[in-house]
Amino acid sequence: MRCHMPIEMAIRDGLGGSLWPAKNNAPEQRIAILPAMIAALNGAFDDISKAMRLHRVWIALAHEDIGDQHRRTTLGPLWMLVNYLAFIGTFIFVFKTKDTDSAGYTAYASIGLVVWFYLMEMISLSVPLFSREASFIQGTRLPLFVYVMRLTVQCIIRASYSVAGCIVILLLSGLGVSAEWLLSIPGLLLIVLATPAIVTVFAFLGAFFPDAQFIVGNIMRVGTFLTPVFWAYHGQGGIQNYAYHWNPFTYFLEVVRAPIASGEFPMHAFAVTAYISLAFWAVALLLLGGYRKRVVFLI
Amino acid sequence: MISIKLDNVSLAYRLYEKLTLTAPDRRLGGLGGKIGRSGGKQVVQALEDVSFELKAGDRLGLIGPNGAGKTTLLKVLYGIYQPSAGTVAIDGKVDALFNINIGFRPEATGRRNIVLRGLISGWTEAEIQEKMPEIIAFSELGDFIDVPFKTYSQGMAARLAFSAATALDPEILLMDEWIGAGDAAFQEKAKRRMDELAEKAGIIVLATHNESLLESVCTKRMTLKNGRVEAFTTKPAKRAGTRAKS
Repeated sequence: MRCHMPIEMAIRDGLGGSLWPAKNNAPEQRIAILPAMIAALNGAFDDISKAMRLHRVWIALAHEDIGDQHRRTTLGPLWMLVNYLAFIGTFIFVFKTKDTDSAGYTAYASIGLVVWFYLMEMISLSVPLFSREASFIQGTRLPLFVYVMRLTVQCIIRASYSVAGCIVILLLSGLGVSAEWLLSIPGLLLIVLATPAIVTVFAFLGAFFPDAQFIVGNIMRVGTFLTPVFWAYHGQGGIQNYAYHWNPFTYFLEVVRAPIASGEFPMHAFAVTAYISLAFWAVALLLLGGYRKRVVFLI
Repeated sequence: MISIKLDNVSLAYRLYEKLTLTAPDRRLGGLGGKIGRSGGKQVVQALEDVSFELKAGDRLGLIGPNGAGKTTLLKVLYGIYQPSAGTVAIDGKVDALFNINIGFRPEATGRRNIVLRGLISGWTEAEIQEKMPEIIAFSELGDFIDVPFKTYSQGMAARLAFSAATALDPEILLMDEWIGAGDAAFQEKAKRRMDELAEKAGIIVLATHNESLLESVCTKRMTLKNGRVEAFTTKPAKRAGTRAKS
């Protein structure tokens, strides 16, 4: 890469400010917030566009990651399908009662679990992302967004195995294929579009606050039970009411699940998911723009 | 015009401390940058007021005790660390070799690692395929090229890393100590390739503790200590094709 860069360091630092407060104290610290935010956004877009040009790198690395995780196993990545089927089989066996509509519950739980597995894996792997990539970050000039996209692709590949399992279960459940199923696609796309932003935010959280790895790990474990993955909400009060309405994961699950399970497009859930995604993108861009040059000193 | 120019470059970064109840054990040591305190935060001053200029054909050797700032300076030149003060102006296509294992995946074969390393350096698929036979030949790894990287010895890894990094004719090559890992025959070969590179009016910056390597490869030497430049000297030209200025 040819670079010509008279770099004015203090300016390019954007939101991050100086690392050596004693020296560069006076005027720079009074930088107005707006220009600093614009500088940060420019930095973020620069990082993202460089990363997009390097798409071959993150696609290749993501494939290597998947390969590495299953090297020397007989089933290889099919283990992801087996995991999913074992889990969902247990849930359906344990939670199916005489009263529940069998086909409906099977669809409800199997779709919920696909989305939940995806979210849980993505968030848990995001927090230690930068420390896991330390040798690359400290030894190459790859834009940080390359690592974000690498994890995004890896999560999508892994999820596609459980999606395949889910489709087979839906076909076998006797629910009956319908055109409404297609209404799940906008929801799926929204989640995929939100993924790089969510990964970025949690990766920065993990870099600046390493304890987050354990906090987030615990929250996600508890979340399996507090999120309507395999229990349904029918207007109950108490904890289930809060766990349904005030849990952002509910809406991520509903955008994909509702069209198949109830045949309706969940407008409200879609809007909430879209707002959450936009908020994540806003925070992700500011973090990437303002703090990306600092990550190398933290890991 | 290929050049490197640093003006009063300083690098300071904050150390993040863990919560602890044990008493701090702070002894004065002669190694590393200076650890200071600023507003209750621990800050390392890794580089301080470093200024120098290199022109096409220059081969700079960085020497100094462990922790003097050699690798840090290389990483500033490569653009990994952003200095906290001063300016860095670099004109030229830069490649760097800091750590043999960087960018290499232990489970992948040598061949696959060349592809990955090429992609990371921004090469196209066609460039990688075109350079592949030459990289394999230069590394002399033979059949080992199709064996996972994790089975390589340090010297074999060094051969592969050096061959890949220098294959696409970087105009500026930054190298850390490790070049000593290869055997004598490979070091001689590597030295020849570095000569060629410098003769094509490139710049080499090499951090090393190895006096004889520095003597045979470099035309300039810079001594670093505690992140400051202690001395910067130019060796009189000995052979054709190298340029030196006093």
